Amino acid sequence: MSLSAPVRPLACIKQAIRQCRIELQQTRRYAVPATEAEYPSLQTRYPPPTPGFRPSQAIKQNRFETGLKKIPVVPPPRSTTKACPDPISILTNKQISVLDPTGARTRLFSPANPERVQPGDILVVRLRTGDPVSGTVLNIRQRHQPIDTAILLRNQLTRVGVEVWFKVYSPNVEGIEVVQRAVKRARRAKLYYMRQPRHDVGSVEGVVKQYLRQRSGGPLGSREANTGRKTGSKKGRK
Amino acid sequence: MFRLDRINIVFSTSRTHNATQIRTHTPQSTARFLCPSVPRSFTRTIRTIQPTPRTRTDRFNHGAGLPILGASKTAAFLRKEAMLPLRTGALAIKKGMTAIYDPTTAKRTAYTVLQLDRCQVTGHKRRDAHGYWAVQIGCGTIEARNVSRAERGNYAAQGVPLKRHVAEFRVKDAAGLPELGSIVTADLFQEGQYVDARADSRGMGFAGGMKRWGWSGQPASHGKSLSHRVMGSSGASQGSGSRVHPGKRMAGRMGGEQQTVQCLKVLRVDKENGIVVVHGAVPGPKKGIVKLQDAIKKPWPQVELSVGVSKMGSTAEALESTI
Repeated sequence: MSLSAPVRPLACIKQAIRQCRIELQQTRRYAVPATEAEYPSLQTRYPPPTPGFRPSQAIKQNRFETGLKKIPVVPPPRSTTKACPDPISILTNKQISVLDPTGARTRLFSPANPERVQPGDILVVRLRTGDPVSGTVLNIRQRHQPIDTAILLRNQLTRVGVEVWFKVYSPNVEGIEVVQRAVKRARRAKLYYMRQPRHDVGSVEGVVKQYLRQRSGGPLGSREANTGRKTGSKKGRK
Repeated sequence: MFRLDRINIVFSTSRTHNATQIRTHTPQSTARFLCPSVPRSFTRTIRTIQPTPRTRTDRFNHGAGLPILGASKTAAFLRKEAMLPLRTGALAIKKGMTAIYDPTTAKRTAYTVLQLDRCQVTGHKRRDAHGYWAVQIGCGTIEARNVSRAERGNYAAQGVPLKRHVAEFRVKDAAGLPELGSIVTADLFQEGQYVDARADSRGMGFAGGMKRWGWSGQPASHGKSLSHRVMGSSGASQGSGSRVHPGKRMAGRMGGEQQTVQCLKVLRVDKENGIVVVHGAVPGPKKGIVKLQDAIKKPWPQVELSVGVSKMGSTAEALESTI
């Protein structure tokens, strides 16, 4: 110890305690099995278990037909169910890769996508044959096989309620566009209450027409600014 | 044997000229009275009908153009000759259903996915020993401890592995019997061919009349008391025997029986994974065992009998070498 270092009165005690603790830990004693000399009657007459022994090996039901003639068993061939346990998903994925090569359609309905289609949105569906169909999404039906995903669109054409189902992966469906997202998240998955006049959105032709006009390079005004606006309100109109 | 009572005895002998009264006797005695010394065979006249020899098959309709019906085993085989498939079938597991869209017409076709798992020939039925030709196919596997020693001995005697499910497929003749232990793979069936699918349908439990027989029930309102789905009446009364006819359709256990769906088109075949895709629906639930064989109402597929059937040998090596 150098004279330059300050001497602390309790430092030695601390050191001493630490040393004691270390010695105790080193000399700590565990329970030792009784040796033969101490308790001869308690000693086992069989050797200790070999490493890797499992008690289930000694259970009686694992002994199979002791004393009987062994009947040879031919080993089974390769199992296809183990090699390919889920052939249906392989087939459907192959189908989907053909029908939706870019994956855009799948992403539009994928639960992981925050921008997915949700009940209450207004959609326009362009068909390969026929006029585009638009409407409010009442139901997105997703079965066990994703290839059969379907949407139900409700619209009012000249005051007549019209509902149409579309299989989203059908080759007849050229494109699905979201015209307007729902203002508030619907608290239901199936919005069949919208069939009642009280909750019916009505005709979406106006909204769709506006959207299409803007998409094709129409007059000023973005789609987002018009979302949530009540009809007839002049507030905030540019 | 000709019949005396139908005969008009018209003959002339010297004796009858004086016979004016003939007492009413039995026909035989009359004939004997009139001509005691003449043997009976001579009492035949032009009015007798030649007896026709009657054979066993005359019980049935027979004539030109009609098939000759018989009750022998050979006759049975001849009757079934056109309907028995030329080759064996396979056992498959029903994995489920999905759909396919045609890219050009956008038509949706539903199909069932079936998977062949460790299908192997585990036995033969021969005409000389069992009376008919059939192939016994086994599929799946089972632990040896769960199979009785008798069955295990049988499998060992045939030299085939233990199988969970076993079924027979009748074939037309010995040529349709593959070698014992042969592994049956999915390419037994060709894309575009037709198959018959047999499986136990889904059990519906104790089903009522409306579900089981399609009865329409009774009105839901207008005073109907406690009888909306009941049978109503079980038949006519006194005129029909004051009883319920045997076989009267009633509520009872429905489903869980073998059903056959014929002429299902095979859309896709994957040999490596043992997948066979058939058009339409197949009886039974998912994971059920389905018996597939060539459709009897369609022309037989033009393939060799060795297609889809490979030798067992050392099982793993044999299968990998054929894939």
